[in-house]
Amino acid sequence: MEKVCVIGAGSTKYGKLQESISDITVQASVDAIESAGIEPKEIDAGYISNVFGVADKQVHLGPVVMSNLGISEKPSLSIESACGSGSVSFREAFANVAGGFYDAVLVTGVEKVTHTGTEWTTTYFSYCSDFFYEGQAGASFPGLFASMARAYLTEFKATEEDLAMVAVKNHDNGFLNPKAHLRKKITIDDVMNSAVVASPLKLYDCCPFSDGASAVILCNEKFAKQHTKNYIRVIGSGRGGSPAALQGRNHITTIPSTKIAAEAAYKMAGIKPKDVDFAEVHDCFTIAEIVDSEDLGFFEKGKAVEAVREGKTRLNGEISINPSGGLKSKGHPIGATGVGQVVEVFDQLTGKAGERTVKDAKVGLTHNFGATGASCAVHIFQSV
Amino acid sequence: MYKLSAKQQFIECAKLGKILARKCKNCAELHLATVYFCQKCGHKEFENVELEGKGTVVTYTIITVPPAGFEKYTPYAWVVVQLGSNLRISGFMANIAKPADLPIGSKAKIVDFDERGIILEKQ
Ligand SMILES: CC(C)(COP(=O)(O)OP(=O)(O)OC[C@H]1O[C@@H](n2cnc3c(N)ncnc32)[C@H](O)[C@@H]1OP(=O)(O)O)[C@@H](O)C(=O)NCCC(=O)NCCS
Ligand SMILES: [Zn+2]
Repeated sequence: MEKVCVIGAGSTKYGKLQESISDITVQASVDAIESAGIEPKEIDAGYISNVFGVADKQVHLGPVVMSNLGISEKPSLSIESACGSGSVSFREAFANVAGGFYDAVLVTGVEKVTHTGTEWTTTYFSYCSDFFYEGQAGASFPGLFASMARAYLTEFKATEEDLAMVAVKNHDNGFLNPKAHLRKKITIDDVMNSAVVASPLKLYDCCPFSDGASAVILCNEKFAKQHTKNYIRVIGSGRGGSPAALQGRNHITTIPSTKIAAEAAYKMAGIKPKDVDFAEVHDCFTIAEIVDSEDLGFFEKGKAVEAVREGKTRLNGEISINPSGGLKSKGHPIGATGVGQVVEVFDQLTGKAGERTVKDAKVGLTHNFGATGASCAVHIFQSV
Repeated sequence: MYKLSAKQQFIECAKLGKILARKCKNCAELHLATVYFCQKCGHKEFENVELEGKGTVVTYTIITVPPAGFEKYTPYAWVVVQLGSNLRISGFMANIAKPADLPIGSKAKIVDFDERGIILEKQ
């Protein structure tokens, strides 16, 4: 297996964007290519993740991106895996570079949905659930995670204020991120007084609907060394699955696919959860960050809430969780998020994270899933 | 052979307040009728079992920002129910406005299936 590296990364701002889906996809791709200091002609293939291109009248984005980069003859793959599309796409790219099929590839994720409005974005997203049992019966994504939250609060005697602390922390971090969608500090009272979306989750427990695109360049180590000193290594990659519907799980307060993916990634990397300096985890809702940080092995089951209370997961705490602001504050353009997490790790480990730098960080982890964790990918990175 | 009618049979049963389940002929694991291979052992022969669509509320949410088509029912609950057996089912429940209306552990039953999927009622 070839050693795989990330040598460049780029992102548009996340938020409500005016440009078209293809414009932002190309923009992030160009930024990543320039950050890597390579020529488009050196790229062997493109992996483009997106979920609702149909809402902006462009699916099959791969060839559009490659054509705009002047490499229309190069193969591309357009990938959908709900909110986990970006990391799944990254994994396919990783496997192809590791397997020696390609020397260097482009991985770009994108979403453009905010123009469809609250009702329709809520509706489209519900198509990512096991629709027959969930979306069809009126379950929105906030609703599915709210069901997880109610189960967690009941089982572990946690409170809605505990969940609110996750939002406050992530907004603190996102405030330091120029590309974040919701760049403002908030208080526990702000969260508690915000409108209920799906009880017990309120507006500030939810990530926003965002537009945005993120891109990275992946290559083998020989290619990396020929081009730059500023690169990072991918040392672990794991994937897993869970029953598509929540009703198919005996425990609703844990996500099986996260555990399976994490175990595989830790094994490949030869490290333990305690060796991770910072993690970008899938906090689509405050409850998700709590469940994720337990499933990833950072805290025992039922103990993540206490860790948040004690500030262990803050920027430069015991383990910095979501230094970028996470999906909650940085935003969640669903097809882009998994790639955006890698952009953050690249920036952190190559000294480009500015005010939100995790001090002395060497090992970063990304965790991104689709729907209620029905599909998941975990990646581990190390500075060189 | 893939039986196209399995989902339809499941729906007809739900309309009568029952859950059509499949019991694995090899390991006895229960699945919803829409499954074709046993998750536990991989076997593909099942015996149909009709279960009473009754059980206890495991968790739920009350939705106030609904997807299209659900404005007229808002607020409503989406509920996960533990059936007597080792099987869970979820669905739509009308007329739930606040958590006090539906404590966890409440009894619930399937009463219908329509364009909102499985319809549950508190007992
Ligand atoms: C919560 C939700 C229903 C709000 O709908 P929306 O269409 O984003 O709301 P609007 O654009 O009308 O925003 C209203 C205001 O709330 C703010 N806002 C929106 N979402 C917010 C959020 N998640 N947190 C904090 N503030 C938010 C907006 O900035 C806006 O403020 P302004 O009026 O000062 O500009 C929606 O964001 C949502 O469902 N989020 C979850 C997305 C999701 O399910 N993703 C998939 C996860 S698996
Ligand atoms: Zn079996």
